[in-house]
Amino acid sequence: MLQTGNFSLVLLIQLTLLAYDLFVNSFSELLRGAPVIQLVLFIMQDIAILFNVIIILLMLFNTYVFQVGLVSLLLERFRALLIISALYLTLSICFHCWALNLRWFQSNRFIWTDGLQALFVFQRTAAVLYYYFYKRTAECMGDPRLYEDSLWLRNIFTRARQ
Amino acid sequence: MPMVKSKKKKSKKEATDGEEGGEVEVEVTSRRRSDSRDPLTPEPLDPAPQKKKKKKRAQTIDLEAEHPDVPNGDMVELEGEESAPVTRKTKRKKKAKATEQFSNDLEAEDDDIITDASSPIPQQSLFSAPHGHSQPVGKVFVERNRRFQAERIEHRRHSEDEYMDPRQIWTTRDVAMKVHSSFRVLGLFSHGFLAGYAVWNIIVVYVLAGEQMTTLQNLLQQYHLLAYPAQSLLYLLLVLSTVSAFDRVNLAKASMALRGFVTLDPAALASFLYFIALILSLSQQMTSDRINLYPTANETLWPPGSEQQILRPWMVVNLVVAILVGLAWAVVSTRPDIDYTEEFLVTMEVEGYPRAEDNLDIPA
Repeated sequence: MLQTGNFSLVLLIQLTLLAYDLFVNSFSELLRGAPVIQLVLFIMQDIAILFNVIIILLMLFNTYVFQVGLVSLLLERFRALLIISALYLTLSICFHCWALNLRWFQSNRFIWTDGLQALFVFQRTAAVLYYYFYKRTAECMGDPRLYEDSLWLRNIFTRARQ
Repeated sequence: MPMVKSKKKKSKKEATDGEEGGEVEVEVTSRRRSDSRDPLTPEPLDPAPQKKKKKKRAQTIDLEAEHPDVPNGDMVELEGEESAPVTRKTKRKKKAKATEQFSNDLEAEDDDIITDASSPIPQQSLFSAPHGHSQPVGKVFVERNRRFQAERIEHRRHSEDEYMDPRQIWTTRDVAMKVHSSFRVLGLFSHGFLAGYAVWNIIVVYVLAGEQMTTLQNLLQQYHLLAYPAQSLLYLLLVLSTVSAFDRVNLAKASMALRGFVTLDPAALASFLYFIALILSLSQQMTSDRINLYPTANETLWPPGSEQQILRPWMVVNLVVAILVGLAWAVVSTRPDIDYTEEFLVTMEVEGYPRAEDNLDIPA
């Protein structure tokens, strides 16, 4: 059974990482005095996304539903988050590499092309969906039914075996 | 209770030690014969009184251990056997008083009587409650709707504990709901702040641009410092507002969200407006950076005479964004209490998936 204190701590870490991600997405364009600043910010942002995905996966592995083998039930519930997280991480890495590559030798220059603009829009839009789905999933992981045996779980288990 | 009575016997017998007559001896012999049937205690013919006492205690403990589910430690099987000796013992007590004047030449036999009636429970008054610990059964019966229903005592005790200790109610689901409601407050603030900020921004831009956009150079010179911070702040507030609006409409449940859009639910409408505003705002990132770099720009970035061509769409899009977020704020403000995700979190525990403990209520 998931303890309330542990869940609060994990939720705090997750929300902190999300807040950092939002901060970098919002203000990284302002903090481009030196290319290394953006480099560090972007690396930390990508690691934060990766950490968040690892945390949510560990929480999923920790559920009783997963331990009894009903992975399909968890995937059905949280598939959207996993897909959007993967998409957002990919888009972020691509955008960061492209933008840093263009700005590395002259940080304060105009780099925008149509392709970079399109990638920027997609990355920032995926970020919004990622924030929404991640926050919702993190809250849904507090569902006590995921951590204990119950009748509905047995019914699903019986149905899955048939 | 037979045990208590036998214990009373013991005390009485101790008081009248060595003073009982031959009648008593006969009764004790019969009693001993019935005891000797027990295969657990093969007794010697004439053992010491203290040893016998210890053996009897061990016997009693063993029998209690064999029947742990019987209330008060009494043994149902032994009740029939015990009742007859007890009546005999009371009779024997009276006779013992009557034979006080007899000599105590049969002391060993009297000791046997005392040992036989002994009990591991200490001496107490006749009308006191038994010392045996009650062993509650697994169910209690609670009167509900003019009838009694069985209920698991652990379940009932647990609910009582919850009532007594409010900390027990604070579960992971409550933490999640607390976080959700806190973000909802933040989102509500963000909705209003974004609407006000967008309107202020577009008013400043139009004022600096002058009538019929005749002073665009003035706008670029004055506004270029604000362009990028304004864009960043706009994105931050738009993200908060959009996520809050998605939360309200519970976008993850596609059917519910689609129904909201079709029925023009305020939360769904606000989500749509915020999302369109977000994409429009993001699409102006290039122009914002161009405005930001105006002082250091060369002719390729700002060709002469291109100000109106570049700035007019940017101003129009910003105007549309301001209208959208203002409209979304107005729509949200009409029904600020709508939050389908919170309803989902609240009803998550009972919706379609009854918990195992709920099914243990067995009607009597």
